Amino acid sequence: MIELAHFQVLGAALFAIGLYGVLARRNAVLILMSIELMLSAVNINLIGYAAFVDFTEAQRALGQVLIIFVITIAAAELALAIAIILRLYRNRSTVNADEINLMKF
Amino acid sequence: MIPALSASAFFLIIVLNRVLGFAFPGSRVPSLVAPVISIGAMLAGFVLFWVVLVDLLQNGPGTFSIGWLTVGETEIQWGVMVDKLSVVMIGLVTFIALLVQVYSIGYMKGDPRFGWYFAAHALFAAAMLALVLADNLLFLYVAWELVGLGSYLLIGFWWEKRSAAQAAKKAFITTRIGDVGLLIGIILLFRATGSFDISTIFHVAASGGIGTVTLNTATALIFLGAMGKSAQFPFHVWLPAAMEGPTPVSALIHAATMVTAGVFLVARMLPLFELAPDVMMAVAITGLVTFVFAGTLALVMTDIKRVLAYSTISHLGLMMLSLGAGALAATLFHLVAHGVSKALLFLGAGSVMHGSDGETDARKMGGLRTKMPITAFTFVIGALGLAGLPPLAGFFSKDEILLGVWADLNPAFLVVALFGVFLSALYMARVVLLVFFGPLNPERKGAHESPPVMWVPLAILAVLALGVGFLAFNYTTDYQGFAGFMSPGHHFEVTGWLMGLSIAITLGAFTGAWLAYSRDTISHAALAQRFPLIYRVLVNKYYIDEAYQWVIDHVVLVIARLVALFDRVVINDTGVDGLAISIRLSAMRTRVIQTGYLYTYGTAMAFGVVGLALIWWIFLT
Repeated sequence: MIELAHFQVLGAALFAIGLYGVLARRNAVLILMSIELMLSAVNINLIGYAAFVDFTEAQRALGQVLIIFVITIAAAELALAIAIILRLYRNRSTVNADEINLMKF
Repeated sequence: MIPALSASAFFLIIVLNRVLGFAFPGSRVPSLVAPVISIGAMLAGFVLFWVVLVDLLQNGPGTFSIGWLTVGETEIQWGVMVDKLSVVMIGLVTFIALLVQVYSIGYMKGDPRFGWYFAAHALFAAAMLALVLADNLLFLYVAWELVGLGSYLLIGFWWEKRSAAQAAKKAFITTRIGDVGLLIGIILLFRATGSFDISTIFHVAASGGIGTVTLNTATALIFLGAMGKSAQFPFHVWLPAAMEGPTPVSALIHAATMVTAGVFLVARMLPLFELAPDVMMAVAITGLVTFVFAGTLALVMTDIKRVLAYSTISHLGLMMLSLGAGALAATLFHLVAHGVSKALLFLGAGSVMHGSDGETDARKMGGLRTKMPITAFTFVIGALGLAGLPPLAGFFSKDEILLGVWADLNPAFLVVALFGVFLSALYMARVVLLVFFGPLNPERKGAHESPPVMWVPLAILAVLALGVGFLAFNYTTDYQGFAGFMSPGHHFEVTGWLMGLSIAITLGAFTGAWLAYSRDTISHAALAQRFPLIYRVLVNKYYIDEAYQWVIDHVVLVIARLVALFDRVVINDTGVDGLAISIRLSAMRTRVIQTGYLYTYGTAMAFGVVGLALIWWIFLT
C-alpha cells in the first residue's frame, strides 16, 4: 500500500541527489540536470500532498495545476539554460563551471 | 528711471552688437550704433535730471519704492530717494558721463571692442546712478558692487596687456576689502534697527535706538567701505594703477562714477556719522592724511596721468576732511567742482596723449601749447580750477571746506590743510609748465590737436569749470549760494582773511613752481640731490606698495600655506582619500570569499536555506 511517507522519502532522496549534483559536478549540463531532479522532487512532494492529505476536491485540483505550472516553467527555464550553455560552449570551448570565471575579480 | 535707461542701453548695445555684427560683418554700422544708444541714454538721463530738479524744487524730497523681497517678517523695499544730495550727484554723473562718452567716440576710434566699451560705460554709469538714488542700504550695496564691476571691466579694458589686467584685479580686490566692511556695517545696522531703509535707520538712530558701540562700529565699517572706493590712505594704491585703463575711463572714474561713491556714501550717511563723533574725527584725520600724503606724491610723479591720479586721491582726502568737519554742502560743492575740473584735466591729458603717440611721461613733453592750443588752454583752466584760484569753482569750494574745518575742528587741521592746498597748487603748476610751456620738445614735433569730437567736450567742461564757481554766491533770497541750497539757513559768506591766505598760498605755490620748473632758479634736480632720502621715499610712493607686498608675502601667504596644508593633510589625505583607502583595504580583505567556484556559492546557499529553516522551526513554531 503506497502512503504519503513513500512520496516524501522519494522526494527527499531525489532532492538530495539533485543538490549533490549541483554542488559536486563541474559540468554545466550535469548541473542543469541536477536542478531538474530537484524540481521533480518538489513535484513529487506536491502530488503526494494533493493525493493523500484530507483536502476538498478544489484543493486537490489546485495541487495538480501547480505541478503542471512547475513543469511548464521548468521546460522554459531549461530551454533558456541550454541556449546559454550552448553559447558559452561556442565562445569558451568549455562547459566546466570552474573555468567560467570572467566576472571574478 | 534714469539708471534703468542707462542699464537698458548696456543690454541693448550688447544685443545689437551681436545682431548687427552678424548682419553686417565688417561694416561700419555696428561701430556707430553703440555710442548712439549709450549717448542717447545718457542724454535722456541728463534731460530727466532737469525734470527731477524742477520737481524737487517744487515738491520737495520724495521717495518711491516697491516691495522687493519678503524674508520672514522683514519686507525689503527696492526704491529711489530723491533729495538734494542725489539730485546734485545725478546731474554731475549724467553730465560728465555724457561728455566723456562723446569724447570717447574720438579717443576710442578704431578699437576692436568699440561697442563693448560703450556698453561697459553705460553699465558703469547706470550702477552709479542707482547708487546715488538708492533709498535703502541693501539696494545701495548692490549698486555699490556694480560700480566695482564697472570699474573692473573698464580698467581692464585692454586686458591683453598684462599690466592692465593686473591693475583691474588690484582695483577690484583693494576695494573689496572695504566692501566687506560696508556689508558688515549694513548688517550691524539692520540688526540694530530691523530695517535697511536709510531714513528709518536715521530715525531710529536719532531717537537713540542704536547702542553707542554698535553705532561706532557700524559707521567705522561703512567708512572702511568708503575708504576703499574713494582710495583713501592706505587703500589708495589701486587708483594710480587704474591708469592702465583708457584715459576717458580715468576721467569718468575720477570725476563722477567711482571714487565719488565713497564720498557720497559718507555724505548720505552723515546724520549717522554725526552721532558718532569719534568716527567723525577718524574720517577727518584720514582725509587730512590722504590730502597731504597724496599731494606730496603728485609732486614727484612724471607720468601726467599719475600726477592727476594722486591729485584725485588728495582731493578726495580733502572731501573726507570736510565731511569729518560735518560740512556737507562744502563737500558736495567741492565734489562737483573737482569732478568738472578733473574730468577736464583727464580728457585734456587724453588729448595730449592722443596727439603725442600715447606718450604719458611729462618729461618727454614741453611746449605743447603751440601744437595743441585748445587742449592747452582748457587744461590750464582745469589746472587753475583745481589749484583753487578765484573765480574758478575750485577756489570757492576749497574755501568753504577750509571754513568748515576752521569752524569745527582743531586749528592744527587748518594749518595742515593749508599745506595741502599749497601742494595742490604746486603740482598742478608743475605739470602744466612741464607739458605745455617751455621750449618744444624735439620728440614732440609730430604733436597735433585732437578732432572736434574730442575738444568740444573739453571746451564745454572748461566753460563749466569757469562757471560752476558762481553757484557759490547769494543771488536772491531763495538762493543763498550752494550752501543755502543744500542746507537751508546757511548762506555764502566772504571770510576775508582765509580767502586772502589761500590765494596767497596758491600764488606762492605758482611762483615756486615757475621758479623750479620753468626758470630753473631753484633746481629741482639739486633739491633731489640734497635730500636724497626724502626724494627716494617719495619716488617710491612711501613704499606703500612694498609694504603691501611684504604683508602679502609674510602674512597672507603664510596663513594661506597653513590653510593649504590643513586642506591637504586633514581634509584630503585623511578625510577624502583616507575614507576611500580604508574602504578599498577592507574590500581587499573580504574579496577572498568570492572564490568564483559554483559549488562554494551553492553550498553557502544550501546551508543558508537550512539555517533559515532551522531558525524558523526553533523560534516561530
